[in-house]
Amino acid sequence: MSHIAVAVQGTAAGAVPAAPARPSVVSLSGITKSFGPTLANAGIDLSVQAGDVIGLVGGNGAGKSTLMRILCGAMWPTLGAISFAGEMVAFAAYHTGEAQRRGIRMVHQELSLCANLSVAENFFLETPGDSASRPGWRALYRARARAALDAVFPGNGIDADADVNHLTIAERQMVEIARAAATPGVKLIVLDEPTSSLDLDRSKQLRAFIRERAKAGLAFIFISHKLQEIIDVATEVVVLRNGRTAWQGHTADASIGKLVQLMGGDADPVHQHAVSAASSQDVLVRLSSPLTAGLGRNIDIVRGEIVGLAGLEGGGQKELLHAIFNPEHKHRASVTRRAEAGFIAGDRQKEGVFPLWSVLSNISIGALARRPALGVVSERANGETAKGAASKLRLDNKRFQSNITELSGGNQQKALVARALVADTPIILLDDPTRGVDIATKQDFYRLCNEVARGGRALVWHTTEDAELLACDRVLVFSGGRIVKELAGEAITEQAIVGASFAQPEDKAAGVGRKQTAIAGLGRKLVNAAPFIGLAAVLATMIAINPAVASTFGLDLLLMPALSLVLVTAAQMFIVGGSEIDLGVGAFAGLVSVLSATLLYDQPWLGALALVAALAAYAGLGGVIQARKIPAIVVTLGASFIWVGIGYALQPTPGGASPDWLTALFGWSVSFMPTSIIMIAAVALIVLVIDRLPLGVVLRGFGNNPAAMIRSGWSPTRYALVRYLIAGLFAGAAGLSLTAINTASDINSGNSYTLLSVAAVVMGGCSLLGGIISPIGAVAGAVTLSLIGALLGTLSVSSDYNAATQGLILIALLTLRSLTADRGSEP
Amino acid sequence: MNAFAGFGIWAQRNRWIWAAIGVLILWLVLSIVTNRFSLSSLSGVILSASFLTVVGIGQMFVVTTGRGNIDLSVASVITLSAFVALLTVKGQDANLAVGVVAAIVLGVAVGAFNSLLVVGLGIPAIIATLATGYVLATATLLSNKAIPGFAVSPALKDIATGRIGGVPIMAIVAIVGVALTSFVLRYTVFGQLLSAVGQNRAAARLAGIRNGRVIASAFVISSVLASVDGLLLGAYIGGAFLEMGQPYLLQSIAAVVLGGTLIFGGSATALGTLFASILLILIVTTMQIIGLPPGVQDIVQGIVVIFVLALAGRQALGRRAAVDPADSEADPAAKAEPSAPTVHSG
Repeated sequence: MSHIAVAVQGTAAGAVPAAPARPSVVSLSGITKSFGPTLANAGIDLSVQAGDVIGLVGGNGAGKSTLMRILCGAMWPTLGAISFAGEMVAFAAYHTGEAQRRGIRMVHQELSLCANLSVAENFFLETPGDSASRPGWRALYRARARAALDAVFPGNGIDADADVNHLTIAERQMVEIARAAATPGVKLIVLDEPTSSLDLDRSKQLRAFIRERAKAGLAFIFISHKLQEIIDVATEVVVLRNGRTAWQGHTADASIGKLVQLMGGDADPVHQHAVSAASSQDVLVRLSSPLTAGLGRNIDIVRGEIVGLAGLEGGGQKELLHAIFNPEHKHRASVTRRAEAGFIAGDRQKEGVFPLWSVLSNISIGALARRPALGVVSERANGETAKGAASKLRLDNKRFQSNITELSGGNQQKALVARALVADTPIILLDDPTRGVDIATKQDFYRLCNEVARGGRALVWHTTEDAELLACDRVLVFSGGRIVKELAGEAITEQAIVGASFAQPEDKAAGVGRKQTAIAGLGRKLVNAAPFIGLAAVLATMIAINPAVASTFGLDLLLMPALSLVLVTAAQMFIVGGSEIDLGVGAFAGLVSVLSATLLYDQPWLGALALVAALAAYAGLGGVIQARKIPAIVVTLGASFIWVGIGYALQPTPGGASPDWLTALFGWSVSFMPTSIIMIAAVALIVLVIDRLPLGVVLRGFGNNPAAMIRSGWSPTRYALVRYLIAGLFAGAAGLSLTAINTASDINSGNSYTLLSVAAVVMGGCSLLGGIISPIGAVAGAVTLSLIGALLGTLSVSSDYNAATQGLILIALLTLRSLTADRGSEP
Repeated sequence: MNAFAGFGIWAQRNRWIWAAIGVLILWLVLSIVTNRFSLSSLSGVILSASFLTVVGIGQMFVVTTGRGNIDLSVASVITLSAFVALLTVKGQDANLAVGVVAAIVLGVAVGAFNSLLVVGLGIPAIIATLATGYVLATATLLSNKAIPGFAVSPALKDIATGRIGGVPIMAIVAIVGVALTSFVLRYTVFGQLLSAVGQNRAAARLAGIRNGRVIASAFVISSVLASVDGLLLGAYIGGAFLEMGQPYLLQSIAAVVLGGTLIFGGSATALGTLFASILLILIVTTMQIIGLPPGVQDIVQGIVVIFVLALAGRQALGRRAAVDPADSEADPAAKAEPSAPTVHSG
């Protein structure tokens, strides 16, 4: 990649201000970025001086995000150069970490906080340097978070100890802004739509803060669709359009009207569709209130028309598409669909292609999905059908046998369109289908849309490229989740669309979802308390039937066997915290038990060495899983055979003896309390402490949002090793406890603990998706599960029911949790 | 050289070939090294492998639904089914029909329960099937107490142990099953839907596929096959014992992965599962012939699974990159086209 600074045509139209006295922070020159034949950026110059507040505006697809990604090192340009304070930097050596080191911070539109961590902990993740592991490190970050939040948003009322997932979107946005602003050594902050979820007061506070910090020399790039904010806060405005700088100048020379005009109105030769369809009685989709409340009437979508969905991103266009596709959903009462609908996704990687398949299979699945499951598939028949669709799209059918991923983005998109065509549904929904597609394909695409609509189908088309809306018969403009305007025929101009979507929506009520959350929260609290309630109930029942249980001796007898399970559970909990499951942890404990009762007893040094080697192997497993990205479940299941095998080889039949010191370690007693309770409490305490240490925070961060962790500069492989090492230590301790308690070893003694530990962890309230662990709950769960056998015995129920009781408890808890948790849309 | 490359491409589409080659090599080596190893001893291996194949095919359906789905309840289903067979058939051929129906009903019931937990309640498959396994374990203990004796229906015993012209009947059953499965996967709508759901669930949903039904069918198929396998296995060993299904848990997963079915879902090969089953049993047999202690046999099996996965991981890695959302944090406005990596790996 070359870094020649070429000034491609069409750069600054306005005058760049004369050299100011302020020092330059960063300067981009001649930035050109092509995606295939599409130019996302074409010869853009951007220079930022200390104290600048640059308002960056442009329509959808104007190239703002690409430019900012290049600036932040997340993407390399095709051509262009970057320099810091006059010093040229080669892009080859420029990446996200380097950008951060040079003082550039970006607040992304999609937030990059770890939602399972507290506000203060998220501050820690960004600047871990000065924490060390000294006690009270959290207080330091709490204070820093407080100060940062108050500096930007006085009176925000955000608790620095609150978990981020308990904050509203607006509050999260505030935290992220404050976190970026508080970073030591920061010189330039890029704010991408920072006020999109903030109300007017917070937005004013933010702008006041920006003005104040700019005076002190900090530079800002402020990207917003809210033009009045740009006019209000920016010192300079850059307007991008079609990847080029359309205008650049002092804010004093800009006005909202002028900016709107500069952003829109491209004479892109998108065809004007002029079929009069409104008369048709074939209503395929009816949209009603509350979606259309702003218009005061229903909207009918009929055969033969193309309806465009416009508005700012996140205005509700995508939601409408999905609601039409799947109208059975409860809160989608405002959408009625009267015919089958097909979907063409624009996010090809995530929602479109089947990457293992050929082009032909990718096309024909559209028709197959609507056939009976036991029907027979004929490749030839598929080929015939697909050929018809493909020829309309000018998709060469010689490529039918190629893997879909070998095609260019444009051709992949053609295949997806062909998929919808072979499905032959009266309604076709298009979700930004021309994303990243070259102009020739786009033209084919527009032509085809017309043809299809004229053939009597209805097309509902969401696009982020405003110019495309000119191809529609009608355009519905969205704002804040509602349709606020309907444009038809001649009234569809880019000007009108931009104007309508930039019309300030009344502030979305921030607390909409609050009430529901409160009810679900109560349910969730109950579920979270379940292990404790369960434990109390079990103990109470047993004591009621047999009061002797309540004695120190009675409790010890009951709880000592629980200790091993508690330890294994602790190990499993750390694995689950990383959203994995270890199916070999019990076997590993068994192996350690065998090692300690044989080698460690006979030859202490060799035994110790063997234990260390086993631990290293266990930790290495974590590294392998992370590095090769292979499923932990199967690897650990395989490993369990290795652990058991080694154990068998060492000790074919149960036996051995516990070293004296080991027996003593678990055999002491004090007068006032059962030993088992003290030890179980100690395990819980140790786990809790690890979890509260910076280390624990990092581990949980990885469990929740690895992408954000890597963005903040943490190494995933290192922490995978550490995670498994910690788990291995706990599992090893469990093995030692087995030897000490049984005064002998059996390689199979740990087996049953594997599944029980998963159950205990889940009961305790840890999320299997990772990141959320609750040490006390899991320990309570483990004790409860290990008491089930004794409880059934007390109730004179056969121990045969032991496993079923454990299984049913697990199912019941998971069911409750799934009912109280907010479900994703994914079926 | 060219032929070699051509084979590479062909083998990429027909991943079962690696397991088949493994079987061939190991068998040749054994025949040469030991005089005792012959075609007839291979048929013994194939007989044992047939039982594994049947469970493996079921497991393969579940794995193919993607998202790391695995059916951990197969082992318990096998054991319980063997006990249920003893309870229902009672050693009488006359009761055989009842026994078969009972096995199928058991399979359907367990599969439906698993589906309810996984599809209906959104509980991760591994936990759901784990919990189901607990419940089945108790059912097994209870039926263990209730069984009248270890008599096995003679007809069933004939199927499980008999031979036609030297070929075990079970092997024929397994091979026919594999052929049928291959047909279903390759030439029926269901097979295509299953693959689609396993590759990309969001895309499958938007293509109009009802993912829930497809996933539920996979779980039912898995349980029914495990259940029928338990019935036959019981007849083979002449009774039933607790934990008799246990070895089939890892081995069924190993057979699936070793055979070339992708652990991340979306692509299955029944033929591969068949050859991998034979390979696994052959490995165990070899170790027995060499006289390795049982512990070492376990170790070798574990290492084989991890090794194969680590090798296959690269392949899956390339593929995941194409779907991985990590790169597509791009907001649509960027109009950025994440370059689609082509999947080429050994």
